[in-house]
Amino acid sequence: MTEPEIKPDIMRISWGPQHPMSGQTRILLDVDGEKVHRIIADLGFTHRGIEKILENRTFLKGIIPIERMVMVDTANIGLGYVLAIEEALGVEVPERANWIRSMLCEMTRINSHLYAFGLQAEATGYFPAVFLWTTIDREVLLDLMEKLTGARWSYNFFLPGGVHHDLPEGFQEEVLEGVDYLRRRFQQYWDAMVENATFEMRCKGVAVLKKEDAIRLGATGPVLRGSGVDMDVRKDEPYAAYGDLDFKVITETAGDSMARLKVRFHEIEQSLNIIEQVANEIPGGPVKTRVPLFARAKPGEVFSRVETPRGEMGIHLFTDGGMNPYRVKINSPTLRNMYVFERLAELDEILVADLTVVINSIDPWYLDSDR
Amino acid sequence: MPEGAEDAFIAALKAAHPDLVEEAVILRQKRVSVVAKREGLLELARALRDEFGFVHPVSAGAVDYPKENRMQMIYYLMNPSSRFTLMLRVNLPRDDLVLPSMTQVWEAMSFHERETKEMFGIDFEGHPNLVPLLLPPDWRGGYPLRKDFKGEGAPT
Amino acid sequence: MFTTLWNWLVNALFGLPGAIWRFAVGFLTWLPGALLRLPGWLWRFLWINFKPLMQILILPGLAFILVFAIIAVWFERKFLARAMLRVGPYYCGKRAGLLQVFADFLKLFMKEIIIPYDAERAFFTMMPVLVPTLPALALVLIPFDQNWVLFDAGSLSLPMFFAIAGLAPLIPIFTGWAANNKYTAIGGFRVAFLYISAEIPLVICAAAVAIMAGSFDLVKIVEAQRDMWFAVPQFIGFVIFFLGVIIEAERTPFDVPTAETELVLGWRTEFSGILFGFTMMAEYVAFQAWALLFITLYLGGFNGPDIFGSTMYSHIFWLLLKFAILVPIIILLRCVFPRLRLDQTLRLGWYYLTPLAVLNLFIVLALKLWGVA
Repeated sequence: MTEPEIKPDIMRISWGPQHPMSGQTRILLDVDGEKVHRIIADLGFTHRGIEKILENRTFLKGIIPIERMVMVDTANIGLGYVLAIEEALGVEVPERANWIRSMLCEMTRINSHLYAFGLQAEATGYFPAVFLWTTIDREVLLDLMEKLTGARWSYNFFLPGGVHHDLPEGFQEEVLEGVDYLRRRFQQYWDAMVENATFEMRCKGVAVLKKEDAIRLGATGPVLRGSGVDMDVRKDEPYAAYGDLDFKVITETAGDSMARLKVRFHEIEQSLNIIEQVANEIPGGPVKTRVPLFARAKPGEVFSRVETPRGEMGIHLFTDGGMNPYRVKINSPTLRNMYVFERLAELDEILVADLTVVINSIDPWYLDSDR
Repeated sequence: MPEGAEDAFIAALKAAHPDLVEEAVILRQKRVSVVAKREGLLELARALRDEFGFVHPVSAGAVDYPKENRMQMIYYLMNPSSRFTLMLRVNLPRDDLVLPSMTQVWEAMSFHERETKEMFGIDFEGHPNLVPLLLPPDWRGGYPLRKDFKGEGAPT
Repeated sequence: MFTTLWNWLVNALFGLPGAIWRFAVGFLTWLPGALLRLPGWLWRFLWINFKPLMQILILPGLAFILVFAIIAVWFERKFLARAMLRVGPYYCGKRAGLLQVFADFLKLFMKEIIIPYDAERAFFTMMPVLVPTLPALALVLIPFDQNWVLFDAGSLSLPMFFAIAGLAPLIPIFTGWAANNKYTAIGGFRVAFLYISAEIPLVICAAAVAIMAGSFDLVKIVEAQRDMWFAVPQFIGFVIFFLGVIIEAERTPFDVPTAETELVLGWRTEFSGILFGFTMMAEYVAFQAWALLFITLYLGGFNGPDIFGSTMYSHIFWLLLKFAILVPIIILLRCVFPRLRLDQTLRLGWYYLTPLAVLNLFIVLALKLWGVA
């Protein structure tokens, strides 16, 4: 990226990609003392051209690379593509498969949110204790997912026409145990983070994003809901089994970093409820309908949306009658939120010390934004 | 959202701006596709934002149709109250890839237009900072998402 | 003149064997006794003349600093690991991982020292050596007993401590400038902000202590606490000083200048190898100096019941025991607190600690005037 000019009396810091907290991106900061005047995101360090890769693979093979976009959240990302393929091929999904999909998606959502908590705690300078607690608690979920799908992440479990296989023997009981355990641990995170006065000082009132700004700048996911907009694809356009499940869309009105964190906290509660409902009330029946391996879709286009933990992901699939997609456009949530992050320095006063808190409240995943 | 809101929207749009809209179809429930005329794009975008409430920009991208010698630019928009996705499209001949920048209407289209520029070579007039977003600054390999892209080093 | 010289020469030549003989006899009769008494002499010689040397080498000096740094690093790693549900250093030195510290120290010694191309070479290489030196200089003023003060500055010792400690922020500022890196520059200036905001309440608190004790002499201040520790009448000052020590030692939640998640490592970012090792050690030396001053001013210093029969040894023991209790408390604070922002730390220093320190001073004056203390 060519760097824009610097105003006089302003220092430009290159924050990342070799920085303890930056992740795989570079952020240019124009600072005056401690105050950040301007944020310039330099993305693309992990660009792999997934959209191009998908054009050269059959529909089924494309599920594998697209799940690599967000490693902690492979289920939701993969589901978006699978839903698009199903719509393009005109495949019906059995009821039971939809419920299993919802359960796995909520598991990865918790997984991803726990990861976000850990990073947020570390960003505030919390000694990595909370990060390691979340890592250990994610292990419970990873074990469950391994039992269900056979892999700890990158499952390739969702196929066009259903899921790969049925729930293993006694899986529902284990899920309920895991949900109970996570509920207990959840209280501990609430105490260590939201109820902690020092943590509150760091997060409350930092980088306030007003409702109209959030809508205008195209924020999505917890960033948008933290500003008081109750947009959630799971409610707006129920996919999988979300139409039959009972859950609430979480919103907070404050719009600051703490509000975004609280949205994630409450979303975990909702996700646990959903998992519990699925484990208790899952209907019987088959879990997949047969789809030919080298299926051809009729020419046309399909736009599918799913709610990933980072926000709404849209997949626009163009087909030309061949075995491969003609073009796949992935609307990644992180790219949208990164633009909000760039503008936050103008909307609210951000200090250098706040930067890590702000960027982790956005919860970016650069492999997602770079594709 | 009440049933038939998409139909009502299309009817209203065609009534208000008959000369700007080339085609408007409902792909399925909550998916509306509007093809704009190239010269009236900016005006239609302003109308969509101010009169029809599409204030929430989602994304933008393009599709290359070399056989028909055209590219299609697509803006994905969202109306926060009625919650349906609008795809605002505009067709471009492949030898004249210039569009007015939508950052004048929706500021957040900035990143998506930068990406489209580097991936498809569509120029956006009036964009404040049209530098590559994902590709390296010294990339000389052409426009990767075009259908005739052969790999790095191949001239465009 | 010539005759005199001639006579002397003849006498000397003829008298020489006799003189040698007499000397040899005298030496041989003296030697057994001397050998017998040699250890005692040496001991007395060392005790009288080389007590400062021993102090430099052992107690407030090198060995104490190094042993403390090693134990503190080990404790911090091992016990914070428990808080994080980890094990910590495990393989080096049996399961306790004690030798890991030595291994890391050796590693730092053998690593290449990389000096940035743009850096100010002289300053850049000099400053890390100076960093631990200044707090170590302040350490010599701490009394471990009435007779075990490395440098007894008398009634100047408390002001001198603050004078030396006040120099400390200069080094990070110079380093931050010399390394020619933006992170180090920001880190250096943060150090300056932080130290000034912390040192003013600390000085006011120390003044209150000096008023109550009636002297600036650290030994006299300790002796004045024989009946009651100053932590009791000056509880406000005690709390302020406790926070001040954490700020001065740059420990969480006030480790703003070296905030890893924001500034990589603040003013230390560019150091490598043993230069980095020195800056790490400096953190512990400063911690040590301020914690010992805190104990001296508020927690009765070396006072304590006589348990070894020798007052001096028990005094040293009590001071070290208090130190050994205080240090883990400060280290373990790291588990519970996120880091404060710079502006929040400064607000704490200027808005809360300074007025409270003045209030504390007035309370002490009132107590003194009404003759309670």
